[in-house]
Amino acid sequence: MAVRVGFSRSFEAGAAAKACAGPIRALGQASWGIAFCGGKHNPEAFLKALKAELGDIPIVGGSAAGAITRAGIGYGGLETAVAGFFDMEEPPFITVTKRLGEGEQMAGRELGEAVRSQAPDGRVVLLFYSSVAATAPLRLHPGSPLVTGFYEGLGNAKVTLIGAGTLTDMNLSNSWIFDGTGMTTHSAVAVVLPADLCAETAILHGCVPVSSFMQITKVHGAEVYELDGRPAVQVLEGMLGIDLGSCGAQELSLIATLGEKHGDRFAPYDENAYVNRLILNANPSTGSITLFEPDFSNGAIVQVMSRDNALMIESVRKGTEEILRRTAGRDGQVALYIDCAGRASARSGAPVEEADVMLQSFKSDMPLIGLYSGVEIAPVNAQSRPLDWTAVLTVLYRGG
Amino acid sequence: MMIPADTPMSHDRLVQELDYYRRECNDLGARVLRLQEEQSRAFREARRSRTVARLIREAYKLVDRTNEIDEIGALMLDIIVNNTICDRAAFLQRKGRDEFAVTHLVGFEDERTPTTLVLPSAPLFFYTTSQTPMESPASELTRLLRLPYVLWAFDAGSAFALILGNRSEGNVSRPFEPGDQELIEGALSVYADIVYRKRTEGDLRAAKREADTARAAQASFLASLSHELRTPLNAIIGFSEVIRDQILGPNGKLKHQEYAAHIHDSGTHLLSLINDILDLSKLEKEGEIPLNEEGFDVTGVVDRAVRDALPIAQEKGLSVETSIPAQLPQLFADPRRIRQILTNLLSNAVKFTPSGGKIVLSTRIEDRQGLLIEIADTGIGMTAQEIPRALAPFGQIQNVYSREHKGTGLGLPICKALVELHGGSFEVASVPGQGTTVTIRLPPDRLVPSP
Repeated sequence: MAVRVGFSRSFEAGAAAKACAGPIRALGQASWGIAFCGGKHNPEAFLKALKAELGDIPIVGGSAAGAITRAGIGYGGLETAVAGFFDMEEPPFITVTKRLGEGEQMAGRELGEAVRSQAPDGRVVLLFYSSVAATAPLRLHPGSPLVTGFYEGLGNAKVTLIGAGTLTDMNLSNSWIFDGTGMTTHSAVAVVLPADLCAETAILHGCVPVSSFMQITKVHGAEVYELDGRPAVQVLEGMLGIDLGSCGAQELSLIATLGEKHGDRFAPYDENAYVNRLILNANPSTGSITLFEPDFSNGAIVQVMSRDNALMIESVRKGTEEILRRTAGRDGQVALYIDCAGRASARSGAPVEEADVMLQSFKSDMPLIGLYSGVEIAPVNAQSRPLDWTAVLTVLYRGG
Repeated sequence: MMIPADTPMSHDRLVQELDYYRRECNDLGARVLRLQEEQSRAFREARRSRTVARLIREAYKLVDRTNEIDEIGALMLDIIVNNTICDRAAFLQRKGRDEFAVTHLVGFEDERTPTTLVLPSAPLFFYTTSQTPMESPASELTRLLRLPYVLWAFDAGSAFALILGNRSEGNVSRPFEPGDQELIEGALSVYADIVYRKRTEGDLRAAKREADTARAAQASFLASLSHELRTPLNAIIGFSEVIRDQILGPNGKLKHQEYAAHIHDSGTHLLSLINDILDLSKLEKEGEIPLNEEGFDVTGVVDRAVRDALPIAQEKGLSVETSIPAQLPQLFADPRRIRQILTNLLSNAVKFTPSGGKIVLSTRIEDRQGLLIEIADTGIGMTAQEIPRALAPFGQIQNVYSREHKGTGLGLPICKALVELHGGSFEVASVPGQGTTVTIRLPPDRLVPSP
């Protein structure tokens, strides 16, 4: 097996596809590919040009707020990255649902059932789904019911699920996916990798708790109304010292998250113990805040988390070194970097690009492809969960 | 009051203490949160302010990337969106009083793309925010990009305009503000500057191509003309020699002999002129004169050239001296061309030196500069302004000396070109009324080391 990666930041979709395909074609005929395409490109034109170069092979992936490869990093909207896979032991099984609009959990179940039919025990499954459900007002396809449904459909099978909610840009304007045959919206695609491919994953964080524990006392879906019996907006206003009614409520997503600590609540701080939820919106009229995901329930104990750029950089450095240590001596084939768009310097205000830090720390010849995403999905304890404000670095290697 | 360490705390006391620590924890956390946000905001603003410098720096690199003006617009928009992270951007060019044509645009994906903008009284700088009333020019500009928040600049001098647009004022974008004038005008002026530079370069390249074509046509014409003239001239010269020298028997009249001598002189002069023109046209088409290079004795070539010039020099009452070191290494060059150079220069010296004057031909080895050959005369000389004219092809033909003194006027340019073909240098120094010195330097690698 071999993997080759191409990158481009080209003005025109056809030229971008050709540039990305160049290094892949140089090795021969790839059997399938992963493609991430900046939202300023016409995805159909890009896909058509890519297939003209690589042949009519299955392409999965989708829109990307930006692309990350060794050849380049960027999130201006014109970046594209493609990985071509060669000489695989068996072709990957690709299954699609186009029913996210009808209900994410049901769509996830559909995917999970299709995956279960392939006897996937022990397999690595890649999942890409379109994050944006509607733009005015902004509504997302939450990843947590999708993942919950996926596991429901999967039954007792055990897989390593890694994935991303795609975005066309940093402003959550739109999203779409490549589903193996074409481009679709409100859809999700799962790719069951061959049995000989295993995954090692590191979740890279960057948030620290800045409050005592608070209980969610009123929640409906992704809408958190009360924390410790007080309107959630009021709690955050008090902490931030600002009037959320007067500032752009969207700015909240640049400032704070809500974090749920798993395991021993009173154990010393461990970034891996937290599942963080970005705040999509604040609604002064209802006193509620809208989270990216609807998976915090009534009674959940959470903390207000501050995004800490220094910690983020440190986490990237340590996590990357750690995954290299864990995969040392293994037959690494390709690395996949799923990076929350909010971590890009233009949004986080970090003095350096954390994706650059990852690349510098990832001292390996292994091909690497990544995207700036809306949601990251990675194993947390026994099952995978959608995560916010994280980066998920995965190394796919051969063997058990 | 101190509480002894082993006294268990009451429940109320514990709750009170826990409340205190929670409050303190939340206050400290809130301060950390605000500090983090202030730091991030400062970094984001610093990043934006660096954007202008970075954008201009990256944009100027386009000068070396392409010569295609049309391609520059696309590459420039790529740099702009990459640095500003805007949702859409377009370059426009004013075509009429109120009409602009969209020349390049990015961010429309598969949507219908705009091609023109009608904008009466185009402002030089403009932007919209959520507070901007939807009246002209906001209405036209937001309609063009189909986005609510736009940033616009127009450069009336170049007739170029640039517009950027965002879907929202939040997240990675912030509301446009007066301070963004520097960014958009900087980007627009760099674009206009590069386009102007590329147009000028294109014009220059076209002019050079035309000049090269014209020069090649001229050389080609001269070459074919010279070939056409040389054949009949050889016949004229040959038959005039027969008549002049009475090879076929005595001429009837002395005048026949005299006229035949005139025909012969004129023919010889014309042939020399044609040969020079032919040489020059070959030299102008670089590389068309092949050098038959070999190692040879410079002294011998100098002697033969001097011997050629001596009869006419003596006839004019001129002294010709040579100064050649005894141990001169061999020269690796084309001996026929070197002799042609020396003969030509000596002939010039004889021609322009009045009776009683002196001509000195000297050679020497110069440290690290190779072989130096110098021909100095005490002739009429030239002014500083006349030297370049004498060195230019056909320059001397229009010169007053050429009318007074017989010659093609192409000798000096040919000599200079031949010396340069050997990798050498050719200099002329002259003072009117005192004389002229021509200095030839041939590079050290042309000297053959003595065995």
